[in-house]
Amino acid sequence: MQPDLERELIRKCRTGDARFYEPLVRAYEPSGLRLAAAMLGNLEDARDALQEAFVKAYESLHRFDLRRPFGPWFFQILRNHCRDVLRSRQARFKVETLDERLELRPADAAQGPERIRQRSAARELLWRALEKVGEDHREILVLKELQGFRYNEIARILDIPEGTVASRLFHARRALKEALDEMGAEFP
Amino acid sequence: MHDDPSHDDLMRFLDGELPPEEHARVQARIDASTELSREAVIFRAMKEGFQDLTFHPGTYHRSVWDQVNQQLTRPIGWLLVVVGGAVWTGYGAYVFATSPANPWEKLATGAVVIGILLLLASVIWERYREWLTDPYRDVYR
Repeated sequence: MQPDLERELIRKCRTGDARFYEPLVRAYEPSGLRLAAAMLGNLEDARDALQEAFVKAYESLHRFDLRRPFGPWFFQILRNHCRDVLRSRQARFKVETLDERLELRPADAAQGPERIRQRSAARELLWRALEKVGEDHREILVLKELQGFRYNEIARILDIPEGTVASRLFHARRALKEALDEMGAEFP
Repeated sequence: MHDDPSHDDLMRFLDGELPPEEHARVQARIDASTELSREAVIFRAMKEGFQDLTFHPGTYHRSVWDQVNQQLTRPIGWLLVVVGGAVWTGYGAYVFATSPANPWEKLATGAVVIGILLLLASVIWERYREWLTDPYRDVYR
């Protein structure tokens, strides 16, 4: 979404007209759902968390700095909410229902059943490894690898100095590698 | 070796976060070191694995907008209903209290109304307490 349009929509929302919030919700919900699903491990909880985060963001719009982009600010709210959900419900990251509900990317469909099976097995392994690495490692991996954020955006979302992002990513990736090793994954 | 890239630089290299001259320097160090090359290959393989993991919510996904919109607009509706109800109740009570009706009639009617309100409040309170401890409250029926 164009930054100017985004700012204009937020200004309108601040006047109390929730109709102008709809384009923002629709623009950010696919990536928000990916983030929440990857943090919580299942789509049902992710949808609930996403919904709550959008409501919280709307109620906090008066505090939003219009010079900054909406995305990282919203993802920070969503990330904090996901962490609260995990803590308040004493829930653990669970992946049992996630993978089967994910839609294959268009490229997968043309690759034949064996390739699809292999990729599905690799995905399953990676999800299981993510489950093992712990919340802090998981969230930075999700932000970088699944969401494709730049370091400065990750720093803003996690509220850490930009210089710390590389270090945290290194430790997260090393933890992931150890988890994959324990599970017998083979690297090239 | 002392000029080997740090772990942080290796991450920035893999994630395309280094300026071109730094990128070339790290690339040269990786090319010259078997250990670094191996490490870079493993991290790259994991990054590629994540590409496969990237999913699109696709047809399964229903927009959350309707639920968000309900949560944003319903409280305003409830607020207006409660405020309007309170104003009417207060006004009605004032008119009734200042009316020339028999004081005993006023007392009896007032007792009935207050009794009904107390019963209603106790039922609502009871339901609320049950809801707080209901293990199935998040289950959609």
